[in-house]
Formats: sequence, C-alpha cells, structure tokens
Amino acid sequence: MNRFVHKTTLSALAASLLLTVGCSSSSETTADGKVKINFLHWRGEDSDVFKELIAKFEAENQTIDVEMSVMPSEQYQSTAQTKLADGQSGDVFTSFPGAQFETIAKANLFADLTNESFVTNYEPNLIKAGQKDGKQFALPLQLVYNQPVYNVELFNKYNLTPPTDWEGFLKVCETLKANGITPIAFPGADVGPGQFMNSMLMNNAPNEDVFTKLEAGDAKLTDAWWTKTLSQFKELNDKGYIQKDSLGTKQDAAVAYFAQGKAAMLATGSYAMASAKKQNAELKLGLLAPITVSAADKKWDGIHTTTFMLAVNSKSQHQTEAKKFIDFLSRKDNAEVYANKTSQHVTVKGVNYTSPELKDTISWTQKNTRFQPRFLIQSGDVQKAVTSSIQDVLSGTAPEEAAAKAQKLVEQKLKK
Amino acid sequence: MKPSKWIYLFLLPGLLLYGVFFVYPSLSALFYSFTDWDGLSPDFNLIGFENYTRMITDDTVFQTSLVNNLKFMAVVVVLQTGFSLLFALLLLKNTRTNRFFRSLFFFPTVLSSISVAFIGAFLYDPTLGLLNNLFDRVGLGFLSQNWIGDPKIAIYSVALMQVWAHTGQMLVLFLAGLNSIPREMFEAAAVEGASRWQTFRYVTWPLLAPATTIVIAYTTIQSFKAFDLIYAMTRGGPNYATEILSTFLYHSAFQNYEFGYASAGSVLFMLVIALVTFLQFRALRSRKVTY
Repeated sequence: MNRFVHKTTLSALAASLLLTVGCSSSSETTADGKVKINFLHWRGEDSDVFKELIAKFEAENQTIDVEMSVMPSEQYQSTAQTKLADGQSGDVFTSFPGAQFETIAKANLFADLTNESFVTNYEPNLIKAGQKDGKQFALPLQLVYNQPVYNVELFNKYNLTPPTDWEGFLKVCETLKANGITPIAFPGADVGPGQFMNSMLMNNAPNEDVFTKLEAGDAKLTDAWWTKTLSQFKELNDKGYIQKDSLGTKQDAAVAYFAQGKAAMLATGSYAMASAKKQNAELKLGLLAPITVSAADKKWDGIHTTTFMLAVNSKSQHQTEAKKFIDFLSRKDNAEVYANKTSQHVTVKGVNYTSPELKDTISWTQKNTRFQPRFLIQSGDVQKAVTSSIQDVLSGTAPEEAAAKAQKLVEQKLKK
Repeated sequence: MKPSKWIYLFLLPGLLLYGVFFVYPSLSALFYSFTDWDGLSPDFNLIGFENYTRMITDDTVFQTSLVNNLKFMAVVVVLQTGFSLLFALLLLKNTRTNRFFRSLFFFPTVLSSISVAFIGAFLYDPTLGLLNNLFDRVGLGFLSQNWIGDPKIAIYSVALMQVWAHTGQMLVLFLAGLNSIPREMFEAAAVEGASRWQTFRYVTWPLLAPATTIVIAYTTIQSFKAFDLIYAMTRGGPNYATEILSTFLYHSAFQNYEFGYASAGSVLFMLVIALVTFLQFRALRSRKVTY
C-alpha cells in the first residue's frame, strides 16, 4: 500500500511539474525537417505585408518556416527583452533605438551583424542607431519623421505655407484658429508629449548630445533650452492653438479629429499618415516642423528616427536561418514592397517609392533633419520625467516649476 | 482519528502549485529586493537595504503612487461598498424585475479590465467622448470635464470606472449576506414597532458584518491590484497623476529594468496591503454581533 501511495505521489508530482513547465518552444525544427524561426516585432498594422513577404521567403527557402509574433508597441518595449532572454522567441526580432536598444545590448542579446553582406544594402548614415562599440547589432528598416503632419488643403485654403520661424508658426496657428480650425491636434494622453517635444526642442537645444549631458548630470532641465521649450508649449496651449483638454486625448482620437478636418496639424509623425488617410482618403498630407527660433538661428529642419531595427537573437539556435531572413528583408525589391504597402520610408538604398504619401514627403530625405532626441535618453525614468513635465505645463503649472520638478526626478534617477 | 496518508497525496498538487507560483516567487522577490539585479544580466550585487531606503526617502514617484493608491482605494471602497449595499437592499426580493436589474448590474463584472478601460476612454474623451457630448446636448455643458486629462481629477475618474465594473460583483455578496439573515429577526423587529431605518440600523447592518468585512477586504485588495484598468486608460499619467503602486512596480521592472528595485517595491506593496487589511479587519470586527 505504501509503495502504491509513493508511486502515485511521484506520478502526481511529475504530472504537476509537466503542467507547470509544459510550454512549447516557438523556435524549433519541425517534423518535416524544416527549421522554424520566430519573427518578433510590434508592427501589427504591417502584418499583412509581412505575411506576403514571409510567403515569398518560404518559397525561396523551402527548408525554413517563419512564424510571426506581434505585440503592441507599448508591451513590446516592456516585455520583449524578457521573451528574448531564453532564446525560444524572436530568432529575428526588432528593437527600438535608444533605451530598448541599450538594454538589449547590455544583456548581450544581439548577434553581431557587422560582417554580414546585407549591411551594405542600407544607407550608411541611417543605420547608426543600431551600432554600438563599433559593431552593427541591428539594422533600422524604417525611416520615420517625428514631426507634425499637416492638412495641405486646409493650408492652401487659408493661403498658408509651412512657417520658417516661431513668429510665423504662431501666425499660421492664429489664422487657422480665427477660421474656426483647431491648429494642432495633440494626443497629450499618450504619444503626444514624446513626439511633439522633439521638433519643439530641436532648435532650442541644437546640440545632439543634450540628453546625454542631462543623464551625465552636465545639463539640467531647468536650463534655458528646456524651460524655453516648455514656455512655448504653454504659449501654444494658452492661445488655444492646441485642442482643448488635450491631456485627455489619445492618439486614435487625435487622428480622427485631424482626419475629420477639424484640426490642421497632427502632432505625431509620418507614421500616422496612413491611419489618417484610411479614415479620410481625400486628405492631402504634408510634413512640417515648428521652428521655435528665428529663421537665422535655425539649425534643424525636422526630426527623423530610424527604427524597427532588425536583429538576430544571440541566444537563438537558428542564427544562420535568422540572418537569411534579414538578408531577404534587406533586399531592395522586398524593402520596396514593404515601404509602399505600409507607407513608410525605409533605409534601404535605391528604393522606388510609389505610394502617394511617400512621394509627397520624399523631399524630407534631402533636408537637414536630426535623430529623434527622445530616443537618445537612455533611462526610461528620465524619458518619463521629461515628457511628464510637458503634461505638467499643459495642466497649468508654470514652465520653471515644471522643469524644476522634472529635474528633481532626473536627479533621483541618476543616483540609482 | 489519525488522518490517512492519502490526505497528503490529495494535497500535493495544490501545495505544489502554491509553492511554485506563490511561495517561491515571493521568496525570490524578497531575495532580489536586496540586490541591484536588472532582470536580464546573469550578474547582480547584494546591496542590503539600499533599495528600500532610497524608495522610502528619495523616490517622489513612489510616494506619489502610494498617495494616489490610497485615494483610489478610498473612493472605490466607499462607493463600491455603498452602491452594492444599496442595490442589494433594493433588489432583495426575488421578482422578475429585480432579477433583470441584478443581471444588468452584474454585467460589467464579466467584462475584462481592458474592455472596461476602452469604454472608459470612449466615455471620457474630452472632444469626442460620450460624457461631455451628453452634458453639452442636455444644456449641462458646465459639468464637462477633462476627466482623465486633468491631473486633479484623473485618479477619481479612473476609480469611478473601477466602481462601475465591480459593483455588481459585490452586490452578489451582499445579497447572499442579506438572504442568510433569519426572517424571524425582521419579524421580531416589526412586532417591536421598529421603523425601516431602525430595522436596518439594529438588525440588518450588524448581521451583515461578515459580508461587509469580505466586501471591504476584497475591494481594498482589488483597488491595489487595479493595474490593467489604469495602465490601459492612462498609463499612470498625466504627469504621474494616476500612477499607483502596481503601475510604479511595472515601470520600475519592465521600463527601467530595475528588478531589484521593483522587488523591494513589491515587498513594501505587500506590507501596505497587509497593514490596510489588518486595520480594516480590526475596525470591522468590533461591529460583529450575534443575537
């Protein structure tokens, strides 16, 4: 009887353990001898295009199956690293530049791509965000402009052109407001502060290392470059150039408001153009950036981000196959399909853009744009302190006070 | 009688699951709270109580989160308990109309928190939202608010969604409590000439003590764990106005990769819940009566 009890206990223990650890691997060799690799990314809106590209890749590489896993971008930024750590997911994965790239690099989860032939398919100036310590760890595929999108027809209707200085920007806003149009739709509840801060800041702090200095303790948010930026946010808000109660507005609502023609500018980025056009196919869109200084003091025309950085997981058992897939996505013909079907500029050389939105904004590739400053902040806490100070000002706090509160948070984080 | 050895066999799966999913993670969290582990690297250092001292003395976001959480808890506990008790009293009789309303009030409970958050975002949006538009249409535009965008009221707006979503759940507990009170008590009160208020005050309320204790304790713990609703509605913003302890822990662990620091936060979090629940039990125990 005792033996029976012991045996049964052991069986129950084993069954419980199996229940506990019974998760299947997503990166494996399938029964028919094919290698299955997992492609982990955050662009749910691009899934259809990727399905098409994956089908083409699998037809060209009969021994490799690609399984795609997509997570919402917010969740991706917070949990992708942990998923990558055991090597079971994300043989090929994507990374945001800045804080996430640094965290993944620190955890040694990037395979070195420096000597791979497909690296030469990219514009060398546009893949720097994926480099660290002289190595190419990731290849940014997308080129995004993180500055306001504007309704070209509304601008034309009131004889407005993209302004070249701060006074001009305020005049444009005043004209729009006087004609019953909200000048700027600002999704202050989520992405707005983190997006609009870049173009508002770019000429107030023209040196690209300003946030590196902030995180080193060599610059402060109470310095003029940030208090001036906050004061200009306050000015836009106080004069009614940003929609009322903007801190309660999320991105989807702001895009809808803009797409309905109620606002003339949408303070997000070029990535929102496709969503706005989906809601109103008649929209003619352009990009502009507020120049917060005089025309003579202007250094930068706008903001770009090279993102959606393709990488191979160093813990993957199938790195050769993973690199083949990146090689495939890096080819001009495939990058062209991706760009035109998703309305995103890409960093691959020689791509021919046929999508109307991309054609309308192609001129920005020739302008003097600066890499998105927010992504140069490496600490998530410091990023949050910076963007929260904008929300603080928009809810009525004086710019100097908001800057001082944010600086205090930065100093607390720097002590860690 | 000596318990059979079989009892251990039947306890084993439960104990194993409890050990793997509760005891082990809790002890791990306690251990990591004394380290500077980033959650990804294999290496870390033991740093004693540094995480705790820094969090308590020098982290204003932690302090703001704690205050916000207490505000959130106060609104949710008071309103959720009050409304669920009121509705339970109104819907006690088992009529067809009452059954309909019970189901109606219970309906939000079956929705996921993310769905509730989407409904909240739709209701509260300042320009396209239902609430402000409704106020404008009926001539009550002065009541329109920037519900989740105004840092002064955002935490209360989110708390109201939590109340809406879970009042029905507590209503069921109060109905069970009310139905367990012997009818003779009410009959005796009626014979004595007690008014409705006196019957409630001296019969119903004291005899509902066990149900009330469960409702308040459960609601309190639920308030501290309201991560998904808050994260989906406001992500802790604007300007930390809706940051509560659970979102603070999430940001520390998964945004900043400070797992050691977040573990210290989770230990403090557990102590705060334990303290609040202990105080509530003590306060509520004093009103427990037997007739």
